[in-house]
Amino acid sequence: MVRYVFFICMLLALPPIAAAAGTGRIFVTNEGSNTVSVIDGKTLEVVETLAVGTRPRGIGLSPGGRELYVAASEDNAIVVVDPGSLKVLRAFQAGSDPETFAVHPNGHIYISNEDDARATVFDPASGGRIAEIPVGLEPEGVAISPDGSRVIVTSESTNMLHVIRVPEHDIVANILVGARPRAAVFTRDGSLAYATSEISGEVKKVDMRQNRVVAVEKIADEKAKPKDVLLSVDEQTLYVAGGRSDSVVVLDAATLKIRATIPVGKRVWGLARSRDGSRVFSTNGASNSVSAIDTDTNKVIKTITVGDLPWGIVIDD
Amino acid sequence: MRKWSITTLTVLLFCAGTIEPCFGAMDVKLVYIGSEGDAALLGARQGLDEANLQGQFLGQKYILEARTAAAPVAELHGATAVLASLDAGAFQALAAALPGVPLFNLRATDDALRAACIANALHVIPGDAMARDAVAQWRKVHPGAKVTAGAWHGEFIKFAGRDLNKRYRAATGKGMDDHAWAGWAAVKMTSDSVARLNSADPGTLLAFLRDDLRFDGQKGAEMSFRASGQLRQPMLLVEDGRLVGEAPVRGVAGPDDLDTLGNTACR
Repeated sequence: MVRYVFFICMLLALPPIAAAAGTGRIFVTNEGSNTVSVIDGKTLEVVETLAVGTRPRGIGLSPGGRELYVAASEDNAIVVVDPGSLKVLRAFQAGSDPETFAVHPNGHIYISNEDDARATVFDPASGGRIAEIPVGLEPEGVAISPDGSRVIVTSESTNMLHVIRVPEHDIVANILVGARPRAAVFTRDGSLAYATSEISGEVKKVDMRQNRVVAVEKIADEKAKPKDVLLSVDEQTLYVAGGRSDSVVVLDAATLKIRATIPVGKRVWGLARSRDGSRVFSTNGASNSVSAIDTDTNKVIKTITVGDLPWGIVIDD
Repeated sequence: MRKWSITTLTVLLFCAGTIEPCFGAMDVKLVYIGSEGDAALLGARQGLDEANLQGQFLGQKYILEARTAAAPVAELHGATAVLASLDAGAFQALAAALPGVPLFNLRATDDALRAACIANALHVIPGDAMARDAVAQWRKVHPGAKVTAGAWHGEFIKFAGRDLNKRYRAATGKGMDDHAWAGWAAVKMTSDSVARLNSADPGTLLAFLRDDLRFDGQKGAEMSFRASGQLRQPMLLVEDGRLVGEAPVRGVAGPDDLDTLGNTACR
């Protein structure tokens, strides 16, 4: 009986999540033109361009996909957009210079405040600040473990991964890494994380149970200044935005060796993966474009012109 | 002299007030030698703030003392590293008096100091040959341009230059110049190295800085020291006071080919 009731509850809980199958749209922040480009996920054409505040950078979706969040860095705000109607729903103040953020499974937003050497936690429903955590200088990347128990904030000018415990919101470890750590991603079970360092050109694998780096690999492409990082669905493959190398670098997640280098546009900053894993998209900051990559062939299937200095990207699928 | 006493006293009071973090796991003493009004000292203080921000996570506390060029060498005892804003002659004499101690050059641009390949010298400020080569590369693309080349510029925004300029201006009310950048970079690379070594021993630090440093000087390239003791770094090009570009100049050399700029050989 208990199991039956539980099952019913599960079913009742399902519709909103199922509805979150999403609009199929791809959203891209254009730091230079103060807009968000809306791309149709099927036709890969820009269907709309939204004005969303000044210097938009970080972008993300609520766990159910009903709300799109955009960090308007120079307005010190998070702008909330309806991904369906594309209407701006509201905005709230999010500390000084919000840059990147990640959305927790509980719906809260964890933001790196680049100017302020802080990470802040907001409830986007109320706009209320839940916590403020002092971290290193120029905090940048934010990654949240799938179970929500750990948050990594990278501080670019202090060269650390700060590991924050949730819900306590205290720092449990500071892991020194190569110069200018940019981004991190957790495996599904939360046991490992991968992080990039831009200036040292490295990718590292971190044991998140022991909070220590277990493998470091300098990306063999000398010009690579690695930025965003993401994992394939099967977690066997790592995709790294190569920055100045004008490519997306495909690595074996176990050995960190390069499997492929995919030329895209100039200054590759952001990455996003379709839910089914068939596509990876890159934002090419200095080419004002987004590249759509077929992950079976590791080839670009389309280059989409967007606004100036495209930065963040998220897929509502 | 009195001014510096006050500076030292402030540091001591701060330490006494927070005795645990200050005299906790590791104290790192840095000494600046030069004029008190020098931008290099302001930059070093900016670096000190940032070093202590990192140090709070690692149990490391940095102290910066300022001394004049006339100060006896005995006053430098116990320093993990020394930062000098001096002319070439005074720098070379100090280097000889401090064997095995990392000595940062924040001011003297003479190529002869690089060619001398002094074992404990760390020339953070670019040498004259680096500026000459940067200007020559720029003129290949922009013939006739009247540019000068330096280490830094208050309007530089790329590669988080914006962030450093903003922090410095907020702290000092001034734009960051070459000497301020050099002071900042010297402290920052020291704290970065001490953090990795977990040691404040001068000899250990010197070996690491000379051989293993991979430094982010907020100019987009990974910086390290040449055998001459000169820091490899991009140069910023300025025309009529305005920032116009960076060297290595694209189309002439690759952005990471830092040895195309004034790679003075050891004599």
